[in-house]
Amino acid sequence: MKDLFSRFFGGRKAHGGQSKDEAKQRLKFLLIHDQVDLTPAQLETMKGEILEVIARYVEIDVDTTEFKLERAEECIALVSSVPVRRVVERPPVLRSAEGSPQPA
Amino acid sequence: MSECIVVTSGKGGVGKTTTTANLGVALAQQGNTVVVVDADIGLRNLDVILGLENRIVYDLVHVIEGECRLKQALIKDKRLDGLSLLPAAQTRDKNAVTPAQMRDLIARIKEVADYVLVDCPAGIEQGFKNAVAGADKAIIVTTPEVSAIRDADRIIGMVEAAELPEPQLIINRFRARMVASGDMMNKEDILEILAIPLLGVVPDHEDIIVSANRGVPVAFDEDSLVGEAYRRIGRRLGGEPDVPMLDLSVQDGFWTTLKRWIGMAPAQGVAR
Repeated sequence: MKDLFSRFFGGRKAHGGQSKDEAKQRLKFLLIHDQVDLTPAQLETMKGEILEVIARYVEIDVDTTEFKLERAEECIALVSSVPVRRVVERPPVLRSAEGSPQPA
Repeated sequence: MSECIVVTSGKGGVGKTTTTANLGVALAQQGNTVVVVDADIGLRNLDVILGLENRIVYDLVHVIEGECRLKQALIKDKRLDGLSLLPAAQTRDKNAVTPAQMRDLIARIKEVADYVLVDCPAGIEQGFKNAVAGADKAIIVTTPEVSAIRDADRIIGMVEAAELPEPQLIINRFRARMVASGDMMNKEDILEILAIPLLGVVPDHEDIIVSANRGVPVAFDEDSLVGEAYRRIGRRLGGEPDVPMLDLSVQDGFWTTLKRWIGMAPAQGVAR
């Protein structure tokens, strides 16, 4: 009934909501990647490697970790949110002996 | 002090040529001497939009190669004092001209004009480099679409790399009704992404097609809303930066009001 009504009045197509928001989101993503020239796959690899390093020092919640490129003012920022569960008990000095980067 | 403004976009088909023609008309209507230059060598179109295609004898490449004087190549628009066209060559390609030659040419045109408007070809290669070579500033034309805005962003970077001042934006083919229903990015959305000053918004309208059919730029049409949009942009360019933006809010008819009343159309939204 509502369908018929819709058709009669030439109502909005049932694409559900504001396609302009989709356009804007896609654009923001595109422009950042255009500028950084980093493919999503490379970004994923970088994320993996960075998390690996962090995980040597603190126990992190990988599932809720966020990692993305954002446009801030005049530059592109790498923004990440890495929830820490607890500090890993092994002393970091030990890790550096294995060739890991020295903690600052 | 004369000024050379390049009209560019990156993406093709967003209305650069139409914009160049209409801003040329609008600036000349204010009493300026204006030369519009078609820099799209090999694919000229500005002559057609202006309805001057039958009067071409010499073109930009002839002038650069010294086969004629500048004055011989300039086609005066008989409808409007102060407006002339320097057409592009149709049988040559972009590589027929170098940026240094363009710079010289623009400097020569600036001696006889208050404003030189350069219609830039689409793309980011030689044609773009030639078109921006002699320019003092740039206008970026875009439409409210993902692909056009992406290319505009790229071009803004290239304009800055060419050491021109921050370009100004014209949003073309704006559809107030789609903006009101949330199916087209609005002015603020686009400005947030591109982050350059807005020079004007031009509504999408059938008048543009009709004017292109006739070879009479819509800025000549006193009754056209699109024409008014271009005339206002022309005034902003011509030293009146505070000319108010055109009111493009949706004027609802009976059916839309009824649909809204029974909840079948989005709530009243004003496209600013």
